[in-house]
Amino acid sequence: MKLEPNGYKIKDFIKGVPITLWLLLLVIIPLLFTFIMSFYTSDGNVIDKTFSLSNYKIFFTDSLYSSILWKSIKLAVLVSVLSIAAAFPLAYLVSFKIKRGRNLLFMLSIIPLWVSYLVRIIAWRSILGNQGVINSLLLAIGIIEKPLTFLLYNQFSIAITLIYICIPFVFIPVYTALEKIPKNLTEASSDLGAGEGKTFIYIIVPLAMPGLITGFIFSFIIALGDYIIPNQLGGTSGIMYGNLIWSQFGFAFNWPFGAALGFILFTIAITILGLTSRFGSTEGGFLSE
Amino acid sequence: MNKLLKQQGLKKSSGLLKTYGVFVFIFLYFPLLIVLIYSFSPTRTIMGMDGVTLRWYKELLQDGALLSAFFHSIIVGVSAVFIALVLGTSGAFFLVKVNFPGKGIFKSMVMLPFLLPGIIMGLTLLIFIRLLNIPLSMFTILLGHVSFTTPLVMFQISGRLMRMGPNYQFAAQDLGANPVQTFWYVTFPMIKTALIGAGLLAFTVSFDEIVISYFLTGTWMTLPVYIYGMMRFGLSPKIYAISALVLCFSLALIILMSRYTGRAGETYKVKNSENKIRNKSNTI
Repeated sequence: MKLEPNGYKIKDFIKGVPITLWLLLLVIIPLLFTFIMSFYTSDGNVIDKTFSLSNYKIFFTDSLYSSILWKSIKLAVLVSVLSIAAAFPLAYLVSFKIKRGRNLLFMLSIIPLWVSYLVRIIAWRSILGNQGVINSLLLAIGIIEKPLTFLLYNQFSIAITLIYICIPFVFIPVYTALEKIPKNLTEASSDLGAGEGKTFIYIIVPLAMPGLITGFIFSFIIALGDYIIPNQLGGTSGIMYGNLIWSQFGFAFNWPFGAALGFILFTIAITILGLTSRFGSTEGGFLSE
Repeated sequence: MNKLLKQQGLKKSSGLLKTYGVFVFIFLYFPLLIVLIYSFSPTRTIMGMDGVTLRWYKELLQDGALLSAFFHSIIVGVSAVFIALVLGTSGAFFLVKVNFPGKGIFKSMVMLPFLLPGIIMGLTLLIFIRLLNIPLSMFTILLGHVSFTTPLVMFQISGRLMRMGPNYQFAAQDLGANPVQTFWYVTFPMIKTALIGAGLLAFTVSFDEIVISYFLTGTWMTLPVYIYGMMRFGLSPKIYAISALVLCFSLALIILMSRYTGRAGETYKVKNSENKIRNKSNTI
């Protein structure tokens, strides 16, 4: 066999053809088309293909759109912080405190990731609804006389469902980071007289930081781009950036404007992902085995 | 004395942590349980639910459109998995074995469909297929599903390939195997469980997918899109019944998958081949 450590063989690159075609046809060219379309304009049913910046102008001058984006960013940050608050202690518990049944608990923590997204939305609608689980329980006990209406169709219901969706996405990178921490570091720290809290703050948190950043970014992007959850649980006060984009392709039927809104979201996501690959852990964790 | 106090403190804090963990698990699983309970409730409520009923499940079987949506999902899922296995596996071999400038960027770009919000994949694909004048059909949904199942398969397989290292292939080739024989007798058996696991995972994700599919669906609907349509008229008991079935189906797939992926998949395989070797040596 001829070994060419530095030379490239055509045979090797044949393996790369299918994935490159896939990348071009299903990712890059559609993104380019979207970018191009964002400079078109739409007049009802007809798309005017002359180059124009008007979609972006509308976005940046009409405060309606930027305020919805800003509202969505704030909600996404809140969701990410709370998802970390739920997933980080859980990951720490499973990784450091559990000896028996750790694999089972790990599986239990990530199973919701792969279990139907729509079913989980249905579950939260039925928990928070007017005749839902919480209201009927409180009514039955007699704590309230009328159903609580603030539970559903607002930002609260969106946030709680998004947190529910995001927890496993945060858990996996955080757990992966925690598993890499040598267990004798915590022993060393406690031998030197640090309490558990001190060890946690000075040893665990800094070493788990790449995982925490990755988890934060994952949940931020999921929360920012989601449109199904605000559609289902948001009501009128819960119109998020995702709905705004979706509505351009649905009833508003302004595809060029939708393309521009989508491209703005794409830019935000890419910028954040670019930053993560520098500061967070590069391993997605849940993508590889 | 001091140490004792500290240990007690430790116990207390870890007890608190455990309680917190239990609450998170309740938060994760309580909603799923609710769906299951609702699906059996004759009164459409949980409070004052008397008895259980299978009525809603029976109604599902009479809903022709729902059943065909279910079969559509199976068809799209299976097709997407096969295409993704071909694309993802060849891609994994390419990225693990071949070095070229810009490989890092290439890798990140392949991950994009999984990292970007689904709405972006949905709308870019919609714009793409509309500019090409392709009508919305099963084919367009399949394109969407191939877009996100491919990176999923690729990273599962490349994870396995990287842990395997190149030495097995080198050994096979030193012993005179040609590339086809090397693949068929050495590499393929070693990645077989990863292929099954990746396929199951990709199918599970495809079966549940709605964010991208919703953009690419015309009148030919997959199950999640059909259920989503049903939800516009409120949550009927039938929705709970189909949700409960979908839930159990996904759970079964995930549990099956966990046997084939990661270290579990590898030990499973090694155990099997060890047994085979043992059997062989016994017969000798």
